[in-house]
Amino acid sequence: MTRVTQAIVGNPLREPSVVARRYVAYSLVFLLVLGMSYHLLVVETDWARMGSFSDIVDNTSSLLPNLSFVPKIIVPLMETALIAFWGTLLAVILSVPIAYISATTTTPSMLLAFPVGKAIIVGSRSTHEIIFALIFVAALGLGPLPGILALACRSIGFMSKTTAEAIENIDRRPVEAIVSTGAGAVSRFLFGVVPQVLPIFLGNAIFQFDINIRRAAILGMVGAGGIGLHFSEQMKVYNYSNAGACVLAVVTLVVVGEVISNRLRSKLIAG
Amino acid sequence: MALLEITDLHKKYPSGESALRGVTITVEQREIVAILGLSGSGKSTLLRCVNRLVEPDSGQVKLDGVDITSLGKYNLRKARAEMGMIFQEFNLVDRLTVLENVLSGTLGVSTLWRAVTRSFRKEDILRALELCSRVGIADHIKKRADQLSGGQRQRVGIARALMQNPKLLLVDEPTSSLDPKIGAEVMELICETANERHIPVLFSVHDVALARTYSQRVIGLGHGEKIFDKETSDLDDSSVEHIYGFGGAETAVSARQ
Repeated sequence: MTRVTQAIVGNPLREPSVVARRYVAYSLVFLLVLGMSYHLLVVETDWARMGSFSDIVDNTSSLLPNLSFVPKIIVPLMETALIAFWGTLLAVILSVPIAYISATTTTPSMLLAFPVGKAIIVGSRSTHEIIFALIFVAALGLGPLPGILALACRSIGFMSKTTAEAIENIDRRPVEAIVSTGAGAVSRFLFGVVPQVLPIFLGNAIFQFDINIRRAAILGMVGAGGIGLHFSEQMKVYNYSNAGACVLAVVTLVVVGEVISNRLRSKLIAG
Repeated sequence: MALLEITDLHKKYPSGESALRGVTITVEQREIVAILGLSGSGKSTLLRCVNRLVEPDSGQVKLDGVDITSLGKYNLRKARAEMGMIFQEFNLVDRLTVLENVLSGTLGVSTLWRAVTRSFRKEDILRALELCSRVGIADHIKKRADQLSGGQRQRVGIARALMQNPKLLLVDEPTSSLDPKIGAEVMELICETANERHIPVLFSVHDVALARTYSQRVIGLGHGEKIFDKETSDLDDSSVEHIYGFGGAETAVSARQ
């Protein structure tokens, strides 16, 4: 029955003319993308620079880390880890009041404080750490401090946003009980809200530290301290094996940071 | 003069639902008063209007001569500190210990500095320990609140309310989250400890039998209005049916048992 009906009525979307038009449209779009990509990848690439296959192998092998350079970058590597640590800590501390004013359930004023908090969060999250670093290097000169401030500015948004959301999602009933004892705003927050939010907050802080190690490794390239500076210097003088040693050091640091932060986080979740 | 005087209290929620429509009740010193009524009859709203967890639209609440409804922020906090509240779902802070939960009863009168540093006065800690053993949770004071059973959790709630040295206990369906046996024990404990301290109790309840056993007076609420207010001994089956409406046959049966 249905087959008969279909045979008579047919599927309007499967009419041969409709199908043909659709395939023409698809093909045109595909050809357009292909043409643009050809220009992007084939015309705009300096293929001659790549050289022969043996040249590629040679150049790549020159990136192999020069291990004798490693002792010279231990200190800048620690500097990178410290920049990440202080940047994260600063963001973690500053994110508490910002989260408080940007959570709909705790904000003192939806008209004043709330939009300010949201603006800080959006500004922080939508600006790349390199932009912050360039600004602070211009203002404060070279060195680790602009790096710390850049990471703090970059992390405040994430920390405040996740904390504000955690505050909004808590169980309101214990807070009601704390309010009923006559407690003021500070006690309500410390005894009703903080215990519920703390595990999420600390977990996010550790996560953010982990990410900030990666970010800190890059910041040196714009002069904001740490190992990135040495990496870009070695690249500029074409000493690829020393640059490779920098990459190796950063990878090691990131892996160590990730292992530590995973341990801490799983402990937090269990506890 | 009655300890608690509620006069012509009205409350309408933003949803347009009218929770209280001119309720007038009193609670005398050392009196235990039960509020009966169907779900949605306004029991919880009435209790929460007393300490203004819910802001009433009009009417007056007087505790010990003080007009609660006209108090500013600071004095409202002082007034709340004088009323202990016990909740249907215990409302404990799960991640704090039992002892910390009990001690949070002092937050209404503690200083800002003590709240920030999470330190409590020694005499408060001693009193909290005393209360813990009085309500039967002395063995669990170091456990986190979420490690306890329902009955134990409500005992923590009772200790927290008593920690306030309240003039009045507001009790919102304390047994509804518990099984009947534990519920009766908890109700017994609330009334005993309140009597020891000469604290009057205003409690809402679903179980008519509990109201009969523990209250001296029963107030019936229906659709936000007071439809019954008599000595508990005057609460006969026809008045239970009046409070619960004609659909309340099941409740009336359980009340007879």
